[in-house]
Amino acid sequence: MLELFAEMWDFAFMRRAFVATTVLSASVAPIGAFLVLRRLSLAGEAMAHAITPGIVIGFVTAGLSVVSLLVGGLVAGVGVAILTALLARKTILRSDASLASLYLIALAAGIFILSAAGSAVPLKSFLFGSILGIDDASMMLVGGVATVTLIAFAVLLRPLIVSTCDPIFFESQTRRPWLVDQGFMLLLVLNLLAAFKTLGTLMAVGLMILPATAARYWASTITGQLVLGFVFALASCWIGLTLSYLFPETPSGPAIVLVAGGFFLISALLGPLGFGARLRKKSTKTTTSIEQTYTKERIQ
Amino acid sequence: MTAVVEIRNLALGYPELTLFKHLSLDIQAGTTLAVLGANGSGKSTFVKMLLGLMNPLAGRVTWPAGRPREVGYLAQLTEFDRRFPIRVRDLAAMGAWRGFGLWSGLGRAGRTRVAAALEEAGILDLADRSLHTLSGGQLQRALFARVILQDAPLILLDEPFAAVDQSTEAHLLSIINRWRAEGRAVVLVVHDLSSVLDHCSHALLLGGGMAAQGTVDEVLTPDRLVAQGYMSESQASWMFRGNAQQKGAAHA
Repeated sequence: MLELFAEMWDFAFMRRAFVATTVLSASVAPIGAFLVLRRLSLAGEAMAHAITPGIVIGFVTAGLSVVSLLVGGLVAGVGVAILTALLARKTILRSDASLASLYLIALAAGIFILSAAGSAVPLKSFLFGSILGIDDASMMLVGGVATVTLIAFAVLLRPLIVSTCDPIFFESQTRRPWLVDQGFMLLLVLNLLAAFKTLGTLMAVGLMILPATAARYWASTITGQLVLGFVFALASCWIGLTLSYLFPETPSGPAIVLVAGGFFLISALLGPLGFGARLRKKSTKTTTSIEQTYTKERIQ
Repeated sequence: MTAVVEIRNLALGYPELTLFKHLSLDIQAGTTLAVLGANGSGKSTFVKMLLGLMNPLAGRVTWPAGRPREVGYLAQLTEFDRRFPIRVRDLAAMGAWRGFGLWSGLGRAGRTRVAAALEEAGILDLADRSLHTLSGGQLQRALFARVILQDAPLILLDEPFAAVDQSTEAHLLSIINRWRAEGRAVVLVVHDLSSVLDHCSHALLLGGGMAAQGTVDEVLTPDRLVAQGYMSESQASWMFRGNAQQKGAAHA
């Protein structure tokens, strides 16, 4: 077994993959935490699909370079975000239905173009990621996005917390509440693009959402949520990459996301804000009050 | 008395629906204005307009002393997500988050202010609790502590007593009375005709496309409440029967 690990470290692509996913974990953890807290978990998944045609068109016209990935993905992501906002504001559809419609069109277009162009990139690695695909430029992309994300969070954290906790109060406090919303969506798209090579378009959001939802079962403060989300994301990446190496036919994306899913299930069972409180002591205060809260919400 | 806000000939609503028009009103410092009306009469819209979240269809809103940097605001409790992972003291501190800046911690002065606000709201002992462990009344007290920390000359409260028990209501009313005594203007959206109105100096009744304003006694008359669709004639005659009896007795 140890030999296998030693052998794994001999491969440059594995070392790259470990470094890239470590940096990626630090970057996507806060994004995931706020996706969950802002009730945008599904919107994040939809956005991941929506950027597909941009990446594909960039790839077909300019090859699979970081620049084509970044430009194509950003144009598609920002375009879908703006169109969604426009449809939700000016027509009868709500934003979830608008986004669902647009991302389905975008995903279908992306896969259609990719197949029609008879690409050299196998569809599987496009959708589910490949640890073999991480070159120097991809490492720079992950590093750059992580730097931008962490600096943006240092500046935006307080407004983000206020706007997430109580959006109506936040709106009453600032002239431009949309700046925080749109800034966050931009960071989401950037991180999806950074995660694309390792995890693929279908799995990229998995590394954001699952560590964050797992952390939610343990943490009762934002700081705890952010730190624990990062720890779960990092552990998922390391274990997932090792699994993907041990089973050479498996793409890295699902391996990483499956491990994250394991953390989620364990947390749901054992975490003090999941079933854990119930298992430990049936009459603890926390359990009672969570139940009270849920009952009240149902009544409302 | 000085006016915090001067409203002239205001019409509010949406392009396809005018809620009311021709409202002229001064919201004075040191007064409490009750805003009443049937559902959909424009109570919350009026509050949103004062917050600057909505433009009037017509009319003029001026701030004689300049638009304050901070307008105290408490939304309806039903709109609040109490599963958010934050402690009571941090929720209260949000009232002054702009003063604390983007980077720095609260500091000793900030922590003292937060503790004083929680103390006044009667929940200092709950300061480190998570929101999901609070009752409706406790959460409303925490949100009042946030308004205290906003330290604003104009305070807008949207149905603050809708989901709280009697003792909490009494406690929160004492805070509102203190605000008024300090010379702040308080606008209080209330749903029911209740003893809360004893704590209000002025009233604004919305409904039936109209907006009537004046002192509580001037505005909340049976005729007007019926005319503006707040209650039916039979409800009004039942509710005000005590008044009629008193008047009859006085007359005799």
